[in-house]
Amino acid sequence: MRDLVFAAINAALVKGARYADARIVDSREQKVSVSDGRVEAIESGESFGIGVRVIADGSWGFASSAAVTTEAAEQLGRQAVAIARASALVAGAPVNLADVGTFDTRWDGPCEVDPFAVSLEEKIALLLEADEAMRAEDAVKLTKSHLGFFRAHKCFGSSEGSYIEQTYTESGGGITAVAVAGGEVLTRSYPNSHGGNWLQGGYEVIRSFDLAGQAPRVAEEAAALLSAAPCPPGVTDLIIDGSQLGLQVHESIGHPTELDRVLGDEAAFAGTSFLGVRDLGQLRYGSEHVTVTADATVAGSIGSFGFDDEGVPAQRDHLITDGALTGFLTSRESARAISRTSNGCMRADGWNRIPLIRMTTVSLEPGEWSLDDLIADTDDGLYVETNSSWSIDDKRLNFQFACEIGWEIKDGERTRMVKNPNYTGITPKFWNSCDAVCSRDHWQVWGLPNCGKGEPMQVAHVAHGASPARFRGIRVGVGR
Amino acid sequence: MNRLTADQARQLAARVVALTQADAAETLVISADDSLTRFADNRIHQNVTETDTRVSVRAVLGNRQGVASTNRLDDESLAGCCADAVAAASAAPADPEFPGLPSPVPVQTPVRAAEAAAGFGPEQRAEVALGIVRQCSSRLIQAAGGVASTLQTVAIGNSLGVDVGMETTSVRATVLAQSDRGGSGWASFFGPDPAGLVADALGDEAATLAQRSEYPADLEPGSYTVVLAPEAVADIVDFLGYLGFSARSFEEGRSFLSGNLEKRIMSELVTISDNACAPESFGLVFDYEGMPKRRVPLIENGVATSVVTDSYWAARTGRENTGHALPAPNAFGPMTLDLMMGAGDSTLDEIIGSVERGVYVTRFHYVNAEDPVPVTLTGMTRDGTFLIEDGALATPLKNQRFTQGAVAALNAVKGVTSERAFFDVMLGSALVPGLLIDGWEFTGQTG
Ligand SMILES: [Zn+2]
Repeated sequence: MRDLVFAAINAALVKGARYADARIVDSREQKVSVSDGRVEAIESGESFGIGVRVIADGSWGFASSAAVTTEAAEQLGRQAVAIARASALVAGAPVNLADVGTFDTRWDGPCEVDPFAVSLEEKIALLLEADEAMRAEDAVKLTKSHLGFFRAHKCFGSSEGSYIEQTYTESGGGITAVAVAGGEVLTRSYPNSHGGNWLQGGYEVIRSFDLAGQAPRVAEEAAALLSAAPCPPGVTDLIIDGSQLGLQVHESIGHPTELDRVLGDEAAFAGTSFLGVRDLGQLRYGSEHVTVTADATVAGSIGSFGFDDEGVPAQRDHLITDGALTGFLTSRESARAISRTSNGCMRADGWNRIPLIRMTTVSLEPGEWSLDDLIADTDDGLYVETNSSWSIDDKRLNFQFACEIGWEIKDGERTRMVKNPNYTGITPKFWNSCDAVCSRDHWQVWGLPNCGKGEPMQVAHVAHGASPARFRGIRVGVGR
Repeated sequence: MNRLTADQARQLAARVVALTQADAAETLVISADDSLTRFADNRIHQNVTETDTRVSVRAVLGNRQGVASTNRLDDESLAGCCADAVAAASAAPADPEFPGLPSPVPVQTPVRAAEAAAGFGPEQRAEVALGIVRQCSSRLIQAAGGVASTLQTVAIGNSLGVDVGMETTSVRATVLAQSDRGGSGWASFFGPDPAGLVADALGDEAATLAQRSEYPADLEPGSYTVVLAPEAVADIVDFLGYLGFSARSFEEGRSFLSGNLEKRIMSELVTISDNACAPESFGLVFDYEGMPKRRVPLIENGVATSVVTDSYWAARTGRENTGHALPAPNAFGPMTLDLMMGAGDSTLDEIIGSVERGVYVTRFHYVNAEDPVPVTLTGMTRDGTFLIEDGALATPLKNQRFTQGAVAALNAVKGVTSERAFFDVMLGSALVPGLLIDGWEFTGQTG
């Protein structure tokens, strides 16, 4: 692999590239899903190819192909330079990269029980057991359960002399019960919605979820939602569970602190950010209870790696410190705009994509509260769990999230269940209204396997650590 | 490695079907060259190209099935892929509802690959980007966007004799123009070849809108008459397809069509069909099982008419197969990929001219569904939102959040524009007009 990587790089340098890197990625995946007692999909796939990224005439070019031979790699290196020269026809200031060390090493993610060696029969049996347990509830008319496994082997080399090989394995899954009656459709998921939960690791990850054990509770809650009251509109104190808060961090802290968005690179697609470079060290993002880190070294998180796809070592960095904006997610190119070196956030969705700035494990650091104490401390409020819908504007300011389930809080007690609770806010105002965060006992890492960004679309595997937290004076029951 | 021709892809599909040691087998081959030049801040900052060919095998043993795919095309890898599919099928429990792979049905494949798209290389894409950027930079406006081309070959073969293949092309360009006084404008192009793409005109449209929308004002939340430009309508129609037009969501009671066929559920001005075979379409005319697509009337003058199927859901519900299968294994059910909404007889300007007070929306951003049956959507407006006063665009507005049932909105349609445009949406493409809608709920605005 090393020879192929450097064949591509050298061909680009011969054609006049000032910088070149190449990545060969060999990945495989397996998915199994069951719906309504029927095995809906058993699917495996593999993908293998090489991508070459160059700077020539001060501009970027990238070419990729599934043909991985010396000749094809050299051809790609030359093609990438030709594309960079076309980019230079509409050039800005020449691209420059912040310094990084050179490394010749390898990194392997955790994996105890190779999930590709576990039989399909065992996986199907687990899903059918969970599915049957959900279907025992009469009101549940549709069930889904699924498992997924992914492994990638990446070989990265650069014209600066680094050569890095990395291998990691990810495992994930979840179950969903849908209660349907009278034109209403109400969903309950575990351990999370939109793909379940995902961690780096092998089949031991799936065993730790206890999908079948949780299935009866999930189905029961879906059924109960049918007779639950709608979420009353109003302004209230909102307690958000860890999984939904993970997504809230994702959308309203993770994306807006991506420095390429701040600099306008994604403007025409997912949008920009309300943040400017000038806000660094100046902006009060949230209350003193809000400290947010970006950490690519969290063991077992799908946001972790040894090196990013520019060969920058994994790091832990603070984005928000006691409420103040203290960092961005960066690349080698963008880091120069804030006179820093890269904190290692560049990742590509496969051999056929360029790396973009992606979240690693972006976490709201835990506070001191227990969830019971926090509810007991709330006179009039709403507690919500598990995302069902998300939307945020192109500057990441106005957001609206809907959750699967909620409970009203009256005089410190969790009371009536409500269906389809939603809430809306403006990012900095929302985070400044945070007055309590639950402790590390309630804190966990939520893997989010489907973060979309860029054109052509790239799907990144990122993660968020979060525990429940309380926000004062939040508008809920919007449009109800 | 080059992209395969339709004949090469069909031959590869047939070879892989023959390699699969199962009772029956199906192979899908997708071979594509994808290129994209992206610009932001008036300069090209990303410029990429990709060539890939994927082979996907569905193996059938009795009524059990399994799928495996690869992009390694050497004999050993292809044999391994077939063996993986067979192993998956043999691990599957019996599925009495599986009707088997579909038998061949004749498909007329028109020539839809445009030669001009094949010659649309990095220099040509840069030229388009340059034309757009010049329109903006000369007005001190920042342009961002992309110029993309896709050349794609799709072939499907199965052991019952299905043998189809087709090449398609598409070209897409987008422009976001932003001024430093809060103005934002947008223009886009989507078509089978670059012939209709005029860079200066596209750049001018977005830049003019950005100039026109500077210093946006607040709007009180509430119920408004809105004029939605076609690109905003495309998002709504896309969600109707995702949540409601499939035989699966219909049968499961999750669709707004469930229990409502033959009933009027939308304004009689609304007619929606799925029609990959229309002469103006430029996508595939068969589905991912190789079955011919046909025009499916979904909403006719406001009346719910029918749903789309694939082989599985056709057999399960006793309907005809309309050719809407996604690639196997398909956990979503059949899906519309070529939605078309009928045009009206007034121009967009005439419709704006008919509104005393309302809001004009260029397009939406980040739309998502909060409740599936009424298709309750929330999202933001973006890149040119205006108050309409006395029949003309007046004050530009800050981006607004809406929370609105799509079915209810389409029941409140009061006007449909004669202009229609194609858009590249979540599910394939959509050809839609602009709409005049009463009682649209804006529930907030950006900070
Ligand atoms: Zn995301």
